[in-house]
Amino acid sequence: MTINQLQAPGSLLQKMNLEKRETLFGWSLILPAVIIIAALILYPIFYNVYLSFFDVKIMQENIYLGFQNHENIITDSAFWKSVLTSVIYVFFTTMGTAVVGLLVALVMNQEFPLRGVVRGLILLPYVAPVISVVFSWQFIFDPVNGLFMHIAYDKLHLFAERFNLIRSPQTSIIIAVLFGIWKNFPFTYLMLLARLQAIDRGLYEAAEIDGCSSWNKFWYITFPEIYFLLGSIILLRAIWNFNKFEEVYLLTENVKVLPVYTYIKAFTGIMDIGQGAAIALIQFILLIGFILIYVKRVLKW
Amino acid sequence: MKKLILWLLVVLFTLAPLSGVFAGGAQDEAQGPVEFEFWTRETQSERMATIQVLIDTYVAMNPDVTIKLVAVDENDMALNMRAAASAGTMPALLEIDAEIAVALGAEGILDTDAAGKMIAKVGKNKFFPRTLDLFETGDIGVYYAIPYHGMTQGIWYRADWFKEAGLEPPTTWETVEKAAKYFYNPEENMYGILVGTMETESYDEQCFTPIAMSNKAGLFDKDGNLIFNSPEMKEAIEYYARLAKYSPPGPQTWRARDYYLQGRMAMFFYSTFIMDDLAVFEVAKGSLTSDNFAGLDGAEFDPDLVINTKCATIIDNKQPAGFGAVCSLAMPVQDDPRITQATMDFLTYLYSPNAYITFLHMAVGGMMPVLKGVGETERFLNDPKGVYSRYGADKIREINEGLDNIESFGIVEGVRIEAASTIYSKKIIPQMIYKITQEGMDIDQAMAWAEAEMKKLLK
Repeated sequence: MTINQLQAPGSLLQKMNLEKRETLFGWSLILPAVIIIAALILYPIFYNVYLSFFDVKIMQENIYLGFQNHENIITDSAFWKSVLTSVIYVFFTTMGTAVVGLLVALVMNQEFPLRGVVRGLILLPYVAPVISVVFSWQFIFDPVNGLFMHIAYDKLHLFAERFNLIRSPQTSIIIAVLFGIWKNFPFTYLMLLARLQAIDRGLYEAAEIDGCSSWNKFWYITFPEIYFLLGSIILLRAIWNFNKFEEVYLLTENVKVLPVYTYIKAFTGIMDIGQGAAIALIQFILLIGFILIYVKRVLKW
Repeated sequence: MKKLILWLLVVLFTLAPLSGVFAGGAQDEAQGPVEFEFWTRETQSERMATIQVLIDTYVAMNPDVTIKLVAVDENDMALNMRAAASAGTMPALLEIDAEIAVALGAEGILDTDAAGKMIAKVGKNKFFPRTLDLFETGDIGVYYAIPYHGMTQGIWYRADWFKEAGLEPPTTWETVEKAAKYFYNPEENMYGILVGTMETESYDEQCFTPIAMSNKAGLFDKDGNLIFNSPEMKEAIEYYARLAKYSPPGPQTWRARDYYLQGRMAMFFYSTFIMDDLAVFEVAKGSLTSDNFAGLDGAEFDPDLVINTKCATIIDNKQPAGFGAVCSLAMPVQDDPRITQATMDFLTYLYSPNAYITFLHMAVGGMMPVLKGVGETERFLNDPKGVYSRYGADKIREINEGLDNIESFGIVEGVRIEAASTIYSKKIIPQMIYKITQEGMDIDQAMAWAEAEMKKLLK
């Protein structure tokens, strides 16, 4: 639809003032997107909210339960434990990827031989299929045959006994966090490197003439330049990691972050759809709460 | 703008049920060739290839039928079925174990009429009676699914090590614990026994069931009342937790059987599925180098392992108990009777001697016939890898007949308790075992937790 068509003589549109016509034109442009979003995002969300009030049966009528599904979750101590696990997991993986990503980006922004190759190689963990790297990590940390125990216990005698670093509930979160950082820092690195390359060289030259130290150059030029990008990446990473299932569950079932808790609670064996919907709703509310605070405080929108 | 969004939502909500109507209409009018899905739990590629050969053979004889083979992991079967049922895209044929069959059947997903007709067609008196019991509904003589193959489980142990150490075979609580303690030497990277301790694995319950049953500890009485929280059950859990201390470190599951093949473990709970791994070089090598241990090519196969390994199929404390599992072919309810009929025709083929034995041979040891007499036929004993001949016809018959002695939480004095299957599929016992052995939870507290979870399910 073009402006000309909209202005066809005698049409209803002609009687509208310009402002109204522009508004309508704007809406008609985004309408396809709105319909797709409504169908693929809003409808499932509302349907999910609706289901969370029911005991969902396959072959029979659903039974209305009121808030019982939600109550089951909120009163379950394992749920709050998994919220805490999620917070720990999200905080350390997000911060870890940000710091490692930033450091690597700063280094890769320097001139050195074979820089292009190294820049590409760093992306490997991010592009490698989860399942294959998960098996490699599991093999490295296998308590009986693994490389880690072989070096740490047999060779270096660091520990009094062999233990299952990757599966024991006490230690598996450490591995999950390390894995999360290792797997995802290249994304942060890639984004930051692109931004770093766009910073005007002239700023650094001016700073050098003024006698700035390297730290001051970073703090007063580089950091302000990347602040909002870094802030956005951290937000995205936090959202992604909060909802992360496969990287955690495939690596070790015993780090019960919220999505894993949801899986065990609602989807083990005979699936409890109502219960799952209730958890998803609560998880959604928690995440939205975090995003609102973060956007206001850190991104200052 | 608000109006627009409202309008959009109205359109969406009106369209959603309409699309269902169209889909339903199309199904009713379908004519011509029949097409259905067969979901198997055999996810390994060689096994899928075998089943595909059977399907291809059948389809060549019956060109009107198209059968699509889909492999679904055992642990995800109930979940996927539930999703398929909600979406109205259920397969026509499932290969599932008894607990899942009963749990799905209790939800009304499975066609008991068709199953009854099939059992009659094959011949009810040809089945080992116990294998049929496992699939019985609350009504006597009505079945959720048709038994197809089974395996028995036991403690496999290094008979040569036991002899050297002067230990008795691990057939009682006492002898098992004594041997586990004796061989447990973590400093040398040697372990006494493998019992399941992973949170979401059915393997835990498979190891635990015979121990509980041998202590006369059940989940239900014959009237279906939950009697989980009993002194006998507590004793069994305490005993299991002690055995877990002699296992390799951390939560473990059946994958750790590789430690046994490497000579790092003295005993492990396992089904007869292990027979071919023990007996045949290529198989054992494949097992060591498969998914779990990519790149571990150097582990040496011990050709004497099959001679030095023995299996204790029964564990005794207050009473002897064995464990096994029977896998069935189940037919989910279909809208189109032609599909049910086509599925039954295909099943008739799968139970014909040649097809049946071909199927069973794809997991030598792990798939024992549920039909009497088949296990003694020369064709069955002459498997392609030559495994059965190494054990001998008598040993095979003994293992096969073990199917008639399977103990299960779900059968109390001959009465089928469906709720036990729901508890099994929700993995409450594995979760409890994990809490005790890995998270260090107090046994009473963990049992109280498990009991509360079971009660929630029974509501």
